[in-house]
Amino acid sequence: MKPSHGIFARTLIAAGTLLAALHAQAETLKIGIAGPVTGPVAQYGDMQKIGAMMAIDRINAAGGVNGISLEGVIYDDACDPKQAVAVANRIVNDEIRHVIGHLCSSSTEPASDIYEEEGVMMITAASTSPSITEKGYELIFRTIGLDSLQGKLAADHIINRVKPRNLAVIHDKQQYGEGLATTVRDLLAKAGIETVMFEGVTPGDKDFSALIAKLKRNNVDFVYYGGYHPELGLILRQSREKGFDVPFMGPEGVVNADLAAIAGKAMEGVLATAPKSFEQNPENAALVAAFKARDEDPSGPFVFTAYAAVQVLTDAIKATGETDPYTLADQLRANRFDTTIGEIGFDDRGDLTESTFIVYQLHADGSKTPISE
Amino acid sequence: MSETSLYVLQQLINGLTIGSTYALIAIGYTMVYGIIGMINFAHGEVYMIGSYTTFIAIIGLLTLGVSSLPIVLLLALITAIVIASTYGYAIERVAYRPLRGGPRLIPLITAIGMSIFLQNYIRLAQGSRDMAMPALVTGGIQFGDPAVFEVSISWMQMIIWGVTLVSMTALALFISRSRLGRACRACAQDLKMTNLLGIDTNRIIALTFIIGAALAAVAGVLLSLYYGTINPYIGFMAGLKAFTAAVLGGIGSIPGAMLGGLILGVTEALTAAFFPSEYKDVVAFGLLVLILLFRPTGLLGKPEVEKV
Repeated sequence: MKPSHGIFARTLIAAGTLLAALHAQAETLKIGIAGPVTGPVAQYGDMQKIGAMMAIDRINAAGGVNGISLEGVIYDDACDPKQAVAVANRIVNDEIRHVIGHLCSSSTEPASDIYEEEGVMMITAASTSPSITEKGYELIFRTIGLDSLQGKLAADHIINRVKPRNLAVIHDKQQYGEGLATTVRDLLAKAGIETVMFEGVTPGDKDFSALIAKLKRNNVDFVYYGGYHPELGLILRQSREKGFDVPFMGPEGVVNADLAAIAGKAMEGVLATAPKSFEQNPENAALVAAFKARDEDPSGPFVFTAYAAVQVLTDAIKATGETDPYTLADQLRANRFDTTIGEIGFDDRGDLTESTFIVYQLHADGSKTPISE
Repeated sequence: MSETSLYVLQQLINGLTIGSTYALIAIGYTMVYGIIGMINFAHGEVYMIGSYTTFIAIIGLLTLGVSSLPIVLLLALITAIVIASTYGYAIERVAYRPLRGGPRLIPLITAIGMSIFLQNYIRLAQGSRDMAMPALVTGGIQFGDPAVFEVSISWMQMIIWGVTLVSMTALALFISRSRLGRACRACAQDLKMTNLLGIDTNRIIALTFIIGAALAAVAGVLLSLYYGTINPYIGFMAGLKAFTAAVLGGIGSIPGAMLGGLILGVTEALTAAFFPSEYKDVVAFGLLVLILLFRPTGLLGKPEVEKV
């Protein structure tokens, strides 16, 4: 076995030298873009990808950052916590030190630990679970509001505008959905609105007839759903088929063109809290045209937040002249940034200092109208 | 009727609907086990392929301008049965027949491999997103006092019961009356002896795979119309539930699979009715554990006779 050890060691040294040489010459800065490329929520990963890639391409076209051009490297975590950990380790091994992602909160959370420990800066454009930044990380940021803000907005809307008599809160037992559902239930309870049903459904389940019969029996007149669109779509479709015709409300995880495909006419009028539609902001008209020119859809909730994540990263690099994550982190916390999602700043935890959510009413043709400011 | 009894009736209706489709898929597990004593874990994927075929056939027919709903559904059913049966036959021919006579664990592992292969193959060919279809069969009947509790049965639920009943009756007649059915029963009793008596057992085994796949395709058609959405991962859970139903009723026994499916469906619906609905899988699989503890052969299964 000895000789092979020797060869192995020499190969390793050779490879190391080669890598070092490549590294020294590198005029490009690699940015990892981590999120689901495959799996049931791949379309959200797509939103993040087109947003981040557009930002990278436009910055490169304008001459890069301090003469360095950017390169986006896509990693697929399939929205699976186990795979997210593997992806995070690969990013560390690939010597990438700046990551846009991850997408699903349940993937972002385990990945953040690895990035923080290994000195990699991560900016998520989509994960809204409050617990991610609760640990007080130094290198973890986000360009999207928190679940707790979204839950509070939903609860305020229900208290002031809906005023239901028999409210049901349903969730998908996942970190994102159940977290939101719990927040909404607790806030409503404080305002004196009792939840008559608080139940979980199994993600991937197809048959909700038993649940719907129970909603009917409890005379529920308003349903808040914490989760993603595949289950809500089926619940809506089956509810309307069974003559259960009450308003539903969900978080931004349900705002998706596929909801209309699954639920059809049954989704007309569903309420949802979602980030402000940045594509309707006149200041972003040129950017929207650039997406359209590429045949990409800029209307997804994470497109502009991902764009802004790249913007704040490159602005910080420009201002400091360095790519070291710790220097950049200080820069991000100390300053305010002008981005496509407005002027933003970060607090000590790395969260946005302003809320980006408003309540929308969704329509069966895929459009949505804002109903609160 | 009182409010509670109407509510229980509604949940029974829901449970029988889902149970019928479990039963259709469970037949495939139980027949294959009855004859060659292996669990065909790729069977759930055959159901998934049946669902995809239904979608493609229906969308194709509608695009071609075939507007009569019964004709569209019938043609989709036939296409799904043909394609899924072909898959069922091909799976047996490629993955199981070359290994027959080997240790029992080997075909079990190829079955799992086949299941993973088919799932990923459909994912690559059709994409991993949910595919959705507008509801073709809508409406139904409602009864009971709306002020108390209104029970609803959709036409689609009735179609599911009807088609399941017809398929099961046809299968029962085929097994009990036809020559091939008798050969199937003979194979189930003693494969080697049947072979010695001059029956081509390979053909009979292939036939059981085809029948199982055809019934899974029927379930695929019914459920894709009922729910309106499919993705490449639906075969796993459906397969697991149907397998549970087959074991519950007594694996190897055809009436057992039918009974097991219905019991499982009704148990799930009634659990969701009176407990938080996240417990329905817990109770369904808990029931399986209990039955296996007290009746290891399942409800209608016969104890295995030691073959000398």
